[in-house]
Amino acid sequence: MLSVGFRALFQRELLRFVRRPKNTFMPPAITNVLYFAVFGIILGGRIDEPVAGIGYILFLVPGLVVLGTISNAFENASFSIFHGRWNEYIHETLTSPLSYVEMVVAYVGASAVRGLIVGVIIAVIGRLFVPISIENGLFLVATMVVIAALFAGFGIIGGLVARDFDDLTVMNQFILRPLVFFGAVFYSLTMLPSTWQTVSLLNPMVYMVDSVRYGLLGYSDMLEIAPAAYAEFAPYASLGVLTLLTIGVIAVDVYLFKIGYGLTD
Amino acid sequence: MPPAIETTDLVKEYGDLRALQELSLTVEEGEFFGLLGPNGAGKTTFINTLVGLVRKTGGEARVFGHDVEDDYRQARDAIGLAPQEFNVDRFFPIREVLMHKAGYHGIPEDEAGERADEVLKRVGIYDKRNERFDWLSGGMKRRLLLARALVTEPDLLILDEPTAGVDVQLRHDLWELVTELNEEGTTVLLTTHYIEEAERLCDRVAIMNEGRKVTVATPDDLKTRGTDTISVRLEDAPSVTPSVGGYAHEATLEGDRFEVRVDDGGSTAPQLLNDLEAAGHEIADLEITRTSLEEIFVDLTRQDDRTTTRSDAPTNEESAGDEGAETPAREQEGLA
Repeated sequence: MLSVGFRALFQRELLRFVRRPKNTFMPPAITNVLYFAVFGIILGGRIDEPVAGIGYILFLVPGLVVLGTISNAFENASFSIFHGRWNEYIHETLTSPLSYVEMVVAYVGASAVRGLIVGVIIAVIGRLFVPISIENGLFLVATMVVIAALFAGFGIIGGLVARDFDDLTVMNQFILRPLVFFGAVFYSLTMLPSTWQTVSLLNPMVYMVDSVRYGLLGYSDMLEIAPAAYAEFAPYASLGVLTLLTIGVIAVDVYLFKIGYGLTD
Repeated sequence: MPPAIETTDLVKEYGDLRALQELSLTVEEGEFFGLLGPNGAGKTTFINTLVGLVRKTGGEARVFGHDVEDDYRQARDAIGLAPQEFNVDRFFPIREVLMHKAGYHGIPEDEAGERADEVLKRVGIYDKRNERFDWLSGGMKRRLLLARALVTEPDLLILDEPTAGVDVQLRHDLWELVTELNEEGTTVLLTTHYIEEAERLCDRVAIMNEGRKVTVATPDDLKTRGTDTISVRLEDAPSVTPSVGGYAHEATLEGDRFEVRVDDGGSTAPQLLNDLEAAGHEIADLEITRTSLEEIFVDLTRQDDRTTTRSDAPTNEESAGDEGAETPAREQEGLA
């Protein structure tokens, strides 16, 4: 897997966003300073602890980390693929002897790295507003890697199916963002009436935000609202399902590359 | 050694449109092979099938014996492509673009850097190595496409209309460079609209039209398929066209200028002169004009009389290419 060709493409993908911090890292940094300032301090000061023992700013941190991570992983992969298609320089990759698996893993891997870097930046910004201690480090890292890769994988599909740049905006703004905002980023599921709790469980983002919250703060809504016999395993079940989903999405990416969907005539 | 390119009954369909129609073509290792044809003939579709930018609908295609789909990695590794379009990574300085491309082909970073410098020097844009593609002039962009094709040291170099829209100097530079590469052992496949280019560079050419192979021949062979024109100026200006032998395909008279179209001007001219003198005409001067490759090309690809022209000099390749030649013309513009 770590062939010279794979490393070359992976490095090219990393350099593309690392050399453009104004376009890639500054926007989420500024946005999240605003989130923490407005929602956390100005509004959050008037909101009771959503969960006993966890103040509102601290409660916000995992959700905002997830929001930044997945939207940047998605954006990077979809942009990189679509821009390459638009200007046809993705042909440089497609006409090379890289295997389809190597191509996809390089694109997904680099985009996941961008998502993770943004996640860390947001966590560091959060740390400026509130003390944070990591409760379940290994679980947190595993979850972050999985969701970053998952959305990078979705981003590849987005970049392949998009017909113009507006399509990318639509995907991010009209699909991703609403799901995240209703994914228990800004509130706890325990604050919702039971009907809406159940409806929320249909939203896959809930599990991602909840898993990261569990990793970071040691608190999980699932532990509270899942049936007692199941609750203890709930965060691990979420991680397991997300991992399988990620593998599935990457397999779809590889298949699309193999058949040349959106890439070849 | 297997041929550099070998396709058998290669088909590419876009819905109802057949861009490649049972195309069987062989390019031997070390050859300088030309692919000629009008716009929409399927030249670029053919090339893109080899490099993985088009998925074939049917038939087989191999590069140095490697199937372009089953053994796509080996097939692609052997090819360096300089396409028509400026499909270059805009994010990086051109030296890095070349290093990335070399890297994708498994060349370690240090060596990739050396190769990038080497090919940039070879195509004459080394001093622009730290510029991005968008900042290069049109001619430099064309040079970079060639450099990118060369940086992986391919066994098969494919040039898709490399001199379209370039100035004379660059055209000659490119010709010199690809000739050198071919002499060093690189197989070259060149598509072009310029007959002069094919005539000057290619060992053999294939003429394509509507996704089919019309013929494959050396440029010299092709020329012999055309007719020559013997133009004779007569001292008197006869009132009726002189009668000549069956060797003449066509004879025309305009004033004192008598023109006869024959297969081989050199060997037919003495016979023609004898016939004219025997008929009482006095010859003032004589000129023989060989058919240009361009005229033959136009003849071969002209749809309305193509079968007639080709039937004059049938070959094995033609027989394959003739299949379905009567199919009405389809619009293929933009697919190439």
